[in-house]
Amino acid sequence: MLHFRRTLTALAATSMLAAGSSAVAEEVTISVWANQGATENYRIDAIKIAADLLEREYEARGETLKINVEGKVFTSWSEFKQAVTLAGEAGTAPNIVVSSHGDIAPWAQAGIIVPAEDYVDLDAWPLNDIYPNLLEIATYEGQVWGIPQDAESRPFFFWNDYMKAIGYTDEDLAELADRVRAGEYTLQNVLEDAKKMQDAGLVEPGKGFWPRPTKGGDFWQFYMSYGGEFATDDGRLLFDREAMKGAYQFFVDAVNLGVTRKNHLGTPWDQWHGALTSGQVGIWHGGTWQYSEWTKKYGLDFFKNVTFTLIPSGGNERGRANTLTHPLVYLITKQDSEKEMSIAGELITIASEPRINALHAIKSAHLGITRSEEKVSLYANDRWTREATEVLLPYATAAPNNPNFGQYFEVMMNGLQAAWTGQKTVEQAVADAEKELKAALGDEIVFR
Amino acid sequence: MGNSKHLGLILLAPAGVFVILFFLAPVVLTAIFGFTNMSTATGISGGAYVVNESTMRALGERFGERELAGRLLRKSYVIDEAGLQAARESGAEQATIEELREKYLGRNFESRRQIERLLKKLDNRPASIRAIKKIAASFERSVVNIRFDSPEELVAAIEGYGIVLSDAQRQALADVSYTGWVFTTQNFKTMMELPDTWRTMANTLFYVFSTLILFNTGFALVLAILTHYMPEGPAGFFRSVWLLPRITPPVLYVLMWKWLAWDNGFLSRMLEPLGIAPRNWLLDTPANAWTFVILINGFVGASMGMLIFSSAIKAIPQPLFHASEVDGASRWQQIRHIILPQLRWPILFITSYQTLSLLTSFEYILLATDGGPGGATEVWALAAYKKALSNYGGALQYGYGAAMSLVLVVIGVVLSLIYLRLFNFKALTESPKIEQ
Repeated sequence: MLHFRRTLTALAATSMLAAGSSAVAEEVTISVWANQGATENYRIDAIKIAADLLEREYEARGETLKINVEGKVFTSWSEFKQAVTLAGEAGTAPNIVVSSHGDIAPWAQAGIIVPAEDYVDLDAWPLNDIYPNLLEIATYEGQVWGIPQDAESRPFFFWNDYMKAIGYTDEDLAELADRVRAGEYTLQNVLEDAKKMQDAGLVEPGKGFWPRPTKGGDFWQFYMSYGGEFATDDGRLLFDREAMKGAYQFFVDAVNLGVTRKNHLGTPWDQWHGALTSGQVGIWHGGTWQYSEWTKKYGLDFFKNVTFTLIPSGGNERGRANTLTHPLVYLITKQDSEKEMSIAGELITIASEPRINALHAIKSAHLGITRSEEKVSLYANDRWTREATEVLLPYATAAPNNPNFGQYFEVMMNGLQAAWTGQKTVEQAVADAEKELKAALGDEIVFR
Repeated sequence: MGNSKHLGLILLAPAGVFVILFFLAPVVLTAIFGFTNMSTATGISGGAYVVNESTMRALGERFGERELAGRLLRKSYVIDEAGLQAARESGAEQATIEELREKYLGRNFESRRQIERLLKKLDNRPASIRAIKKIAASFERSVVNIRFDSPEELVAAIEGYGIVLSDAQRQALADVSYTGWVFTTQNFKTMMELPDTWRTMANTLFYVFSTLILFNTGFALVLAILTHYMPEGPAGFFRSVWLLPRITPPVLYVLMWKWLAWDNGFLSRMLEPLGIAPRNWLLDTPANAWTFVILINGFVGASMGMLIFSSAIKAIPQPLFHASEVDGASRWQQIRHIILPQLRWPILFITSYQTLSLLTSFEYILLATDGGPGGATEVWALAAYKKALSNYGGALQYGYGAAMSLVLVVIGVVLSLIYLRLFNFKALTESPKIEQ
C-alpha cells in the first residue's frame, strides 16, 4: 500500500515537473471529518471559509494555490471515532479531524495525529487570544495537540412555573444559581422539589427529574458533585469510591422516589427534547448547545420558562457544585505530505478567527474560544452565550487527557446503568466497576 | 479421472483465494489479536519509542530509575554549529543561518517557544510558520516527545547528548518507552476475573437457545407443517407473510418494533384507556427486554427454517401419506411417524446453522435494546463488538474484543461437534442400504 502510494506520489511529482511547475496552479485537497448536529455545520464550513481566505492570501502574495475542502459529516460519536481510528491505522485519515479533546491522548500515542503546535503559531493572533484554560485542555504531555473549536458546559434546568407552584418566588429563582454555587441548594433538594411537583400534579410521575437520555460525559458531573476527581496530581486516573457511590445512589434514589424512570436511559432524543420544551418535565440537566435546538426547533421561550444553574453539590462534606466542559478541537493528522499538514495548520488558524468562530458559536449555541469573540457583535448581542459564559464557564472542569480515560468512562457508565435499572445494588455496581478497572488498567488507576 | 480432479482444483482456485482472504484470514487474525493488548492508543501497525512524562514515570516506578527519568525529561535548547547544520538540512535559508550564527551562537534557551520568538525577529525571518518550527526544533537537545522507530535510535539520540546508559537501563528504557502493542495472555485472565463475563455468557446461552427452540426451529416447524396441510394458495400466502421480517431492512424493522413499544407508542396508547400507565415496554424490565429481543430475532429467524422444512416435507413421497390415510392414521400420527423422522437431517442443519448464526448475530439487539436495561440483554457478540469497535470515548480495545470473539469461535466449534453427535450425523449421511 505504502509502496503503491509512493509510486503514485512519484508519478504525480514527475508529471508535474514535466508540465512545468509554474504553468500548473498548485492544487491541494484537504479533507475534514466532523461529527455534527443540524446546527453545527460550521465545524466543517469554517474550514471552507478559511480555505477561501487562504487562497486569497496566496493570490495577494502573487502565488497560486487552489484548496479543495472535502467535508465528511458523521452523526454518531462512536461511529465517527471508529472511522477516524481505523482510517488512521490504514493510512487514509482525513487531514483535519474535529473531535473531542479526550481523543488527543490515545490518538497521539498511536501516532495518528501530530502536535498542532508544530504547525501553528500560538504566539500570534488569533491563537494567542484563545482562553488559556481551553488551550490547557488541548494539551497532552506538555504539547498543544489541538486547537479548540468550541466550548460548552452542562447546566441544570428548572421549569419556572412549577418551581413557583411549589413555593419559590421570582426572587428565589433569580438567586437559585448563586445558592447552587454556594452549595446551599443540593441534589437532595432537587429530588425533594421534583417529588413536590409530581405530588402537586404539575408533572406526571417519573417526569419530576429527567437526566440526559443517553450515556455521556454529563454523568461524571454527579461524581464531581460528591467530591470525585478525575486524576491524581501525577496524571493517573482516580476512582473515588465514596463519590462514585454517591453518584450511583443519587439516581437510584431518584428512581425509588419515583421522580425518574428506571428505564430512562435509552429514551429517544426527540422525545426528550419534546417533553422538556413543552413543560412536561420539572427539572432536567443537559448542555448549553441544546439551547439552539430548544428555541429554534421546539419554539421554547427559554428565559421566560427556564432557570439554569450549575450541577448542584451532592451535599456531602467534599461535595461541590460543578459543570463539565468538553471542548472539541481541530486536530491535524499525520500525513506523508508535509505540505498538506502545513496547510491544515494554516486553515485551522484562520478558522479560529473570532468572526468565523462566532458563526458556529451562535448558530449552535456553543461558547466562544477567544476573548475577542466577545467584541464581535453577533456574539455580544446574544443573551444566552453571554449569560451562560458568565454563570457556567468559570466553574467548568474538563475530563483528563489520558489514553485510558475512554475505558474508565465505559466502566463507570455501565456500573451506573446497572445500578439505575436495578440490575445491581449500588455497592455491587461500584465494587464490580473497581474490579474491572483494576483488572484492565492495573497501576494506571488509583482507588481512594 | 485424474485430470478432472485437477481441473476441479484449478476451477476452485479463485474461490480458494477468497476463502483464505475473507474467511480464514479474519479468524487467524482474530486469534492473533486476541493475544495482544492492542487498542486505539497502541495502534495496530506498531508503535514508536517515546520519552515523555508517563513513560518516564513508569521508568521510575518499575525500574527505580528516577534519576535517569528526571535527566531525560530535562529539555534544553542551544544554538550551536550542530544545530545550525541541522537547520540547514531541514531547509533553512543560508541568510537566516548566517544571521543566527552571527547574533546568537552559543546561546541557551529553556523552551522552543523562546527560539521561535527570536526567529520571528530576525531580518531574514523564515517565510512560513512551519519553517520557523522546523528551524527551532533543530536546536533542541533532548529526546522528549520525539517518536523513534527503534530503541537503538532512541538510545543513540540520548547518548548523542552525553548521557551514557548501562545495558539494564537500555533494556528498561526500551520497555517503558514503547507505545505499541505487545503479546499477552492478560485478556483471558481479565475475562475470567470479571463478574460481567459470566453474566454476559449466561445471557448469550439464554438468548441463543430460547430463540432457537421457540422460533428458529420450533415455530418454523409448526409453520411448515401447518402450511403443508393447507391448500396451495393460502399456504403460499402464509409463507410469504412470514418472509416479510426477513426481507425488511433491519433498521426499519426494529424501528417498527420501537414504535410499538415506546412510552408514547402503540402499546402504551392502546393500554392507556385500560388504566395501564404508559411506559417504555421494550426497556421496562429485563423480562420485557428479553421478550422483545427473542420476538424480534425469532420472527426473522423462523422464515429460514420454514422454507427448508416445507421443501423437505414436499420431498416426502406422497404415497406414504396416502397409504397412512388408508390405514386410518390421524394428522398427529402422520406428523409423528412420517414427517418428523424424515425431517431429522433438515432439523440438524437448521439447529446447528442457526445456533452459529445466533451466537454471532447481535445487530437486532444493538438496534433494539443496545444490551439494556443495565446490561440485561448484553450478549457476547455485542459485548465483543463494543469492546473492539464502539467506545463513546474512542478507546477501542481490539485485543480484548478479539479475545472475546475467539471464545465465541471455540464455543461454536464445540457446539457443532455436540450436534453432530446428538443427531448421529454418521448414520444420516450413510448411503441408503436399499440401493446397494
